[in-house]
Amino acid sequence: MNRRLRVDWPACKARGLCHELLPEVLELDEWGYPVVHGEVTDELLGLAREAVRMCPRLALRLVET
Amino acid sequence: MNTSPIEVREDPDVHEGPALLAGLASGPSLAAHRTQFGDLPRLALDDLVEAVDDVGLRGRGGAAFPFAIKLRTAAEGSRRPVVVVNLSEGEPASSKDSALARTRPHLVLDGAVATARALRARQVHVVLPGDRPLTTAAMETAMDERRDRRVRLVRHVASPRFVAGQARAVLELMAGRPNLPVTAWTPEAVAGHRARPTLLSNAETWAHVGHLLHTGPPTGLGTDDEPGTTLLTLRLPGARVAVREVEYGTPLRSVLPQEDAAVLVGGFHGTWTTPETARRLTVSVAGMREAGCALGAGLVLAVDDCPVVWTQRIVAYLAGQSARRCGPCLNGLPALASALAALDDGGGTARVEQLSAMVVGRGACAHPDGTVRLVRSLLAAYPHEVDRHGAGYCSWTKPRAVRRLRSVAS
Amino acid sequence: MNGLLHGPTLWYLNRSTGLVVLALLTLTAVLGVLSTARGGRLLPRFVGQVLHRNLALWSIVLLVLHVTTAVVDTYVDIRWWQVVVPWIGSTYLPLWLGFGTVAFDLLVLVIVTSLVRARMRHRSWRLVHLLSYAAWGVAVAHGLGIGTDLRQPGWERSAVYASVALVAGLALVRLVGATARHALEEAR
Repeated sequence: MNRRLRVDWPACKARGLCHELLPEVLELDEWGYPVVHGEVTDELLGLAREAVRMCPRLALRLVET
Repeated sequence: MNTSPIEVREDPDVHEGPALLAGLASGPSLAAHRTQFGDLPRLALDDLVEAVDDVGLRGRGGAAFPFAIKLRTAAEGSRRPVVVVNLSEGEPASSKDSALARTRPHLVLDGAVATARALRARQVHVVLPGDRPLTTAAMETAMDERRDRRVRLVRHVASPRFVAGQARAVLELMAGRPNLPVTAWTPEAVAGHRARPTLLSNAETWAHVGHLLHTGPPTGLGTDDEPGTTLLTLRLPGARVAVREVEYGTPLRSVLPQEDAAVLVGGFHGTWTTPETARRLTVSVAGMREAGCALGAGLVLAVDDCPVVWTQRIVAYLAGQSARRCGPCLNGLPALASALAALDDGGGTARVEQLSAMVVGRGACAHPDGTVRLVRSLLAAYPHEVDRHGAGYCSWTKPRAVRRLRSVAS
Repeated sequence: MNGLLHGPTLWYLNRSTGLVVLALLTLTAVLGVLSTARGGRLLPRFVGQVLHRNLALWSIVLLVLHVTTAVVDTYVDIRWWQVVVPWIGSTYLPLWLGFGTVAFDLLVLVIVTSLVRARMRHRSWRLVHLLSYAAWGVAVAHGLGIGTDLRQPGWERSAVYASVALVAGLALVRLVGATARHALEEAR
């Protein structure tokens, strides 16, 4: 079970809440947009779900592959 | 909107070919088409899937996706599918779809209509190029000639932008929204137009389907692994733009008379090759992939001036063609264009490489990815030229101050 | 029990909850307007967002208390249906009470849509959420018109005026900023 965070790019406006909540997986590029590193481990799952819920533009999704 | 470094040409020299482009002299009319190929055969879905699978028919996007898989996926949905012919030809340097529209429109439409019937689809949407009036007129004339029962031909006109032909952008156009890409959470063959399975393919792919239906598998053409033919747009220095139908397995040098030109293969999202590499390449999906290239939109652009300068201009164009919906593309591509221009100031390639890595895979569509493919291919094929530019020289022209850009003769 | 219903306790409770709800709504609105501003170390964006949500929910809790005390209190004739239906059949300062009702309705709409935000189209949610400005403005009007405390000049009324200036000012700054950015994008 592989879990990844995927960004809905046209919706994302670089608000940066996702990075504040989950810096282990989401860094910000020089313009403030999220760079996703690797997958979401079990211990980070709660925070990942929180980041998805908190995004003011609903631009983040947790995808299972 | 910025202008392309290569002008769109709707009137290429279309050369007679062994399959799709056979018998061009009879003209594009429906009557001539029926005389040459006969009536549209009715094919059951399973037979159609088998036929396209046997010849390994692939799409004309960069990934060369197997058409049979798309067809099967669209057939598996519970809702009635929709067929889409993508003739928007957003790649300015490509002319093969225009050539098909003006010489073999009914092969394209036969392929699409027959597939629609096999899928029990009721609609075939045809997406026409907004910046190619002759092509659009030719296609509309062809559509008006037809009387396909139980299948309705719906027309759309794409906006004159590079990204207008992207699959999701086409679906947006069909839905009455701006003709720009959006995020795709499922492939369109699963759920696309109005959440229906949508079989969207390039006009040339549909022409191959049409040809397959009428004449069967292309025996004797191509190789065992890759039977059949493909269309190339040839833009060579000093020559008119030409569209040629070429068998798979043909050495690329047979269509490249000039042996010392830098060659861009695929399109603006394609790859540069050195003259040496170009001499060794064959027209082959697998072969090119091994060599780090891709057939892409089938463009073969040979230039007798500097590929670094060409890349700077193409990337500047591509940056301006961003739909401006995704942060990394809207910010990253102009920055990449600036970084490429800054190569001439001795800036080095670090910034170019950094930006390239930053924009790949971070957008709703593959526009940044394709742009980076072009840039990386330049760095891989012409590292010495890039360095020389950094030192203020260019192998193709005199020192920087008098570097002039020559457009491709056409 | 009788004393509770007839005495001034409910009345005081109603007035105080009214003032506090107005203050909370102002804070909520300020945090909402500032949500697009850069987050700092002092107030990271997710902190601002969580505060915005929690304050909004507390506002509703106190608002329910506010309207309940108004209805239950026998000193003024305010009926249950007037909590959600404005102006019709009301007898106690109908205009200003009605504003309160409208504010309540709008706030309920805003909060309910925010609770199911993930199930809505973002554009629809956003349009409804803009109504919170209207809700807040109407709530202020309700307070100024109906409130015993705000009828005369005093620190309470000054505080309300300051709140209006604050929210209106911040909203204007955000609007101007967004318009300017949009114009810049179009020009590029």
